[in-house]
Amino acid sequence: MEPFTRSATPDQRTPASRPSRRRLLAAALVLPLALGAAACGGDDSGGSGSDDKVELSIFWWGADKRAELTEQALDLYTQKHPNVTFKKTWQANQGYYDKLATLTAGGNAPDIFQIDDNAISEYATRGVTLDLTPYTSDGKLDVSKFPKSLKEYGQVDGKLVGVAMGENTQGLVYDKTLVDKFKLPAPTTGMSWDDFIKWAASVSKASKVPGTQDPSGIYQALWVYLRQNGKDLYKGNQIAFDEADITKWFQMWKDARAAGATPTPDVIHEGNDSSVSKQLVVTGKAGTSWVWTNQMPELKKNTKNDLGLVAYPGDPSAQWARASLYFSVFRGSPHKDAAVDVVNFLANDPEAGKILGTDRGLPPNLDVRKQIESTVTDPNMKQTIEVQNELGAKFGPTTPSVPPKGHSKVKTELIRIAEEVTYGRQTPEAGAAAFVTAAKAAIGQS
Amino acid sequence: MTMAQMPVRPTEPVPPVPAAQRRGRAARRRRREDLAGYVFLSPWLLGLLGITAIPMLISLYLSFTDYSPLIPVTEAQWVGLDNYRRMFTADPSYWHAVRVTVTFALVAVPLKLAAALGVAMLLNRAMRGIAVFRGLFYLPSLLGGSVALAIVWRSMFNREGAFNQFLSIFGVEGQAWVNDPTWALPTLMLLAIWQFGAPMVIFLAGLKQVPAELYEAASVDGAGAWRKFSHITLPLLSPVIFFNLVLETIHGFQGFTSAFVLSNGSGGPVDSTLMYTLHLYNAGFVELNMGYASAMAWVFLLVVGAITVVLFNTGRFWVHYSDAEER
Repeated sequence: MEPFTRSATPDQRTPASRPSRRRLLAAALVLPLALGAAACGGDDSGGSGSDDKVELSIFWWGADKRAELTEQALDLYTQKHPNVTFKKTWQANQGYYDKLATLTAGGNAPDIFQIDDNAISEYATRGVTLDLTPYTSDGKLDVSKFPKSLKEYGQVDGKLVGVAMGENTQGLVYDKTLVDKFKLPAPTTGMSWDDFIKWAASVSKASKVPGTQDPSGIYQALWVYLRQNGKDLYKGNQIAFDEADITKWFQMWKDARAAGATPTPDVIHEGNDSSVSKQLVVTGKAGTSWVWTNQMPELKKNTKNDLGLVAYPGDPSAQWARASLYFSVFRGSPHKDAAVDVVNFLANDPEAGKILGTDRGLPPNLDVRKQIESTVTDPNMKQTIEVQNELGAKFGPTTPSVPPKGHSKVKTELIRIAEEVTYGRQTPEAGAAAFVTAAKAAIGQS
Repeated sequence: MTMAQMPVRPTEPVPPVPAAQRRGRAARRRRREDLAGYVFLSPWLLGLLGITAIPMLISLYLSFTDYSPLIPVTEAQWVGLDNYRRMFTADPSYWHAVRVTVTFALVAVPLKLAAALGVAMLLNRAMRGIAVFRGLFYLPSLLGGSVALAIVWRSMFNREGAFNQFLSIFGVEGQAWVNDPTWALPTLMLLAIWQFGAPMVIFLAGLKQVPAELYEAASVDGAGAWRKFSHITLPLLSPVIFFNLVLETIHGFQGFTSAFVLSNGSGGPVDSTLMYTLHLYNAGFVELNMGYASAMAWVFLLVVGAITVVLFNTGRFWVHYSDAEER
């Protein structure tokens, strides 16, 4: 190695550097322009003929496992349709909707995106999602094997805007190892709220671990409670409860706290603030957490203890088969037909169903579901399926419709106000009044 | 030195050039240089226009509309002053966020400046290894607004966090600092105060400018440490203090990252850390009311601008520019 060879002829550098400086100037001027132009050149007007090369962008949230399974299923689709490839993007739940909104604002919404009932009304009423109804009538999208409730739960203003990718329902997860250790009875489906709170207090007393997370800020628990009392969370674009209902709800949990059934306010806040994998039943800070049935395997992955799964307290017929989440197609996608076909494949294809399992909930297609039930090996998935089927037999005839626009704000307001009550900064009555006002404002009800 | 006085090489006489031609050439060269200047500026200029100025103007327009990021800008409906009206009359969280932000700025900014000045004075001594100490004290600011730092803070000030374990050595049972509505904001302030490195370095530079003779003269006259500080250090440092005050005040009002991370984006518990910018972000990106968020951003800009103007005006009474008097 001879490091100084180049500097041995310094006189040659001077003439060479003159034009390069000019070129540098040109580059400095042109480069930002070129970059800008390249950013604008992203739209392709490719048709949807079956031989054209098509790249579809697809975006979802979830954990590693979901990414692995979804990628496998999409690879299978590419195998069967070599002209279709995917640009896959996924991330954790937190921040997902911020990103989706930003992409949409830039006109770069993914062709296919995962969405749930927190946001689907917002996106559908703003015309972001493609109306899939015509595709169901000409057979390009088959929802005929779906349970009726799942099909309906994907409709906003009478249009099918999301294809359910899974079915779940409210699930109360308890720490079985803890309960067995202290020889306590397990909670059961159908036990009354009072009995459940008494049970939780007995767990706290015996084990020094608070028996249950306080669900006063958890909207799906309130929702079940309201339905058991002949009310509902929403009716169309209106709230379907009043201050008295919420006062009773907050008071019930205030009493439970006094009885020692629930944790201290800061731990309750921590539970409300945490993702699935950090729920209190997993971190050992409470004996019970309030989740959705399909989240069982994810919870189990994060604890060594055995977990049990039952319905929320009270009459289980108030629960319903909920579309845990959907895939929707972007209305501005240049490849709508191809995107719809992929969604159809993910929902109905037996092989794809086998790959996807119950990660997003029970498969929406009942034939696929039956096939999965007979072949599933994962014990936590098995437990989820068993409980969900057991509950499914008890569901009442009415299913709530998809929550209206503003629902996610209602959820955060409930957490905030319920915590005001748990921290003792508001009485249940004042909290109830505040929540009714906030909920009405959030969904634009005058 | 004029041209006539310059030594001219005798062997190569410069050919005479007509004056007009010379002027034309100079002007051309100046134009070329101007152009080159603009070309070199262009990446920044395009950035300023494309990333700052034009979007700002668009946001001003959007603040009078019901724009949501889910619809094209062209479809946004003009709503006049509705967003501003809602902000001031119909959004209780808005005033709550204003209170939180003002409290944060009023407490954190003076304490941060005091800490920065105090440490800068300690580090202004001639001592072996002083550079290492300066580096160490500056370190938290290098980590600055980073998300990682806020995450560390979050776990340190948890109920089971390192801080409470430290307290338990002394038999003190700590709070769940970040999860307690009373303590969450002070914890956030502490994080801001701890990052005093940037103003500290500026103070340090200012302290080095204070002439040592003044202190010597004061000592001869029998002034104690406090008199020297209040009659020499503070007045001579006042331009630097003013600079830091303006900068840190603006910074304090803008606090976002640490509040966002510490509260998981919610501003909780029970909105105790709902900084203005966090409320703005949630309005725009979570509730998708971008028109409303734009209106909040403009009010914010105007208010912070007004505060800066007020600071500049009060500066006349207490900022002491020594060179101005000498002139």
